[in-house]
Amino acid sequence: MKSSSHMKFSALGALILAVLLAANARAEDIVVIVNPASAPLSKEQVADIYLARNTAWTPIDQAAGSSIYSEFYKKATGRDAAQVKAIWSKILFTGRGVPPKQLLDSTAVKKAVAANPKAVGYIEKSAVDASVKVILPIS
Amino acid sequence: MSGKRKGLAASAVLAFCALAAPADAAVDDYVTLSGFGTLGTVHSDYTQADFIATVSQPRGAGYSRSWSVTPDSDLGGQANISLSDQLSGVVQVLSRDTADGNFKPTVEWANLKYDFTPDIAVRLGRILLPTYEHADIRNVGYSLPWVRVPVEITYASTATHSDGVDVLYRLRTGAVTQDIQLQWGTTQLDLPGLDFTLNSAHIGLFSDTLRYGNASLHLVYQQTDPSQNPPGRLRMVAVGFAYEPGPWFLSIDSNRTRNGYYGELLAWYVSAGMRVGHFAPYAFYSATHQETLGTSALTSLGNQHTVAAGVRWDFARNFDLKFQVEQVTIASLDDPASFANLQPGARAGDKAHVVSLALDFLF
Repeated sequence: MKSSSHMKFSALGALILAVLLAANARAEDIVVIVNPASAPLSKEQVADIYLARNTAWTPIDQAAGSSIYSEFYKKATGRDAAQVKAIWSKILFTGRGVPPKQLLDSTAVKKAVAANPKAVGYIEKSAVDASVKVILPIS
Repeated sequence: MSGKRKGLAASAVLAFCALAAPADAAVDDYVTLSGFGTLGTVHSDYTQADFIATVSQPRGAGYSRSWSVTPDSDLGGQANISLSDQLSGVVQVLSRDTADGNFKPTVEWANLKYDFTPDIAVRLGRILLPTYEHADIRNVGYSLPWVRVPVEITYASTATHSDGVDVLYRLRTGAVTQDIQLQWGTTQLDLPGLDFTLNSAHIGLFSDTLRYGNASLHLVYQQTDPSQNPPGRLRMVAVGFAYEPGPWFLSIDSNRTRNGYYGELLAWYVSAGMRVGHFAPYAFYSATHQETLGTSALTSLGNQHTVAAGVRWDFARNFDLKFQVEQVTIASLDDPASFANLQPGARAGDKAHVVSLALDFLF
């Protein structure tokens, strides 16, 4: 009896938490950024850059395993983290390139993009400032 | 007999990777160290021959032993060195059961690459041959949808790399991107139907991969001039197609090899799979068939076909587990592609049922 009501309560708690988290995740929109001096890119171009099909740009990654990382790849390329890993390991082990550098957070990504006109990055919309240029919302 | 040596070789590679792993930050910008491996075990119920994973392996599962770890297991370590914005180098060492029947580490890759522009590059050194769709990653299980590349497609060109030069050129025409590769070099070659002795050959290859969105078309012409056997030039034409939108994939590959001695060989497969959460189920049909006769007495070299199904499970970051079942039908006794150690009791039409389990990892 007691344990069952306890379980019900914790299930409700988990549900509330899940709803809150989902709402929170929706609030954190992701945007693709480039150097202020760079030309804009289409969504297809961004997908190509992050799937190793366009080497003219230098993609910058967030940490694999972070939620922004999985969210970005899911929405921008239609692929999950394991598929992306498989694609980049193919590039790596065929000697055609090295996977994108994974930076710790959006501040580090901004810094890298601001310093390199060939760099592309993705950050939370709330983290955008004048050092970078937003070219694409990811939703 | 060579168990001890195998262990030593494997631990040498492991030690190399372990030593290499904790690179400090200063070195990190110039050197990228990485590795891959597969721990696989395979079972075949067919006791009249050994099921093998690559054409040049001398033994496998079925006749020699019921279960075997040697066909699919491998371990590789790689260093990418960035010397300047234009100049980079790559070295890859691989330990895998080969024609010699051991896991002695070999250098698969060792070349310097110079990028004249982001779209034109030249490489000098040891370069992998992109003969078929997954040729250059055949040993990287993690990057393959299956436990192994369908053996049939690999049958007529078992050389993995050549020592020489290649030119890489990327051409964009509207929404179509072409990756063109021209390669010249020499190779040590292991050919089917022969004793696997050292035999060198000159290889010339032209490859063009056209990409439009998630679709790609792979065209290859490869010519091989062996110094000894078989007599005469081998000419191979390969055509492959892949469509990979993400939630599912379709992959078709084929090649036709012509040689005066062996005649004409056709190999092809069709494979499809999908992605369901962390699982990626797949199936393929694969066949090789001798089309016309050469001057040798071999009338049906390599002939066999395979029906297979399996599932990949991405259970942790940098790891996957694959389970694959297949039925291989031996269409002729002249060196069927998937088998070694054919016994006198083998008959054309025999079927082998094969179960494979593989753990792929990256580090």
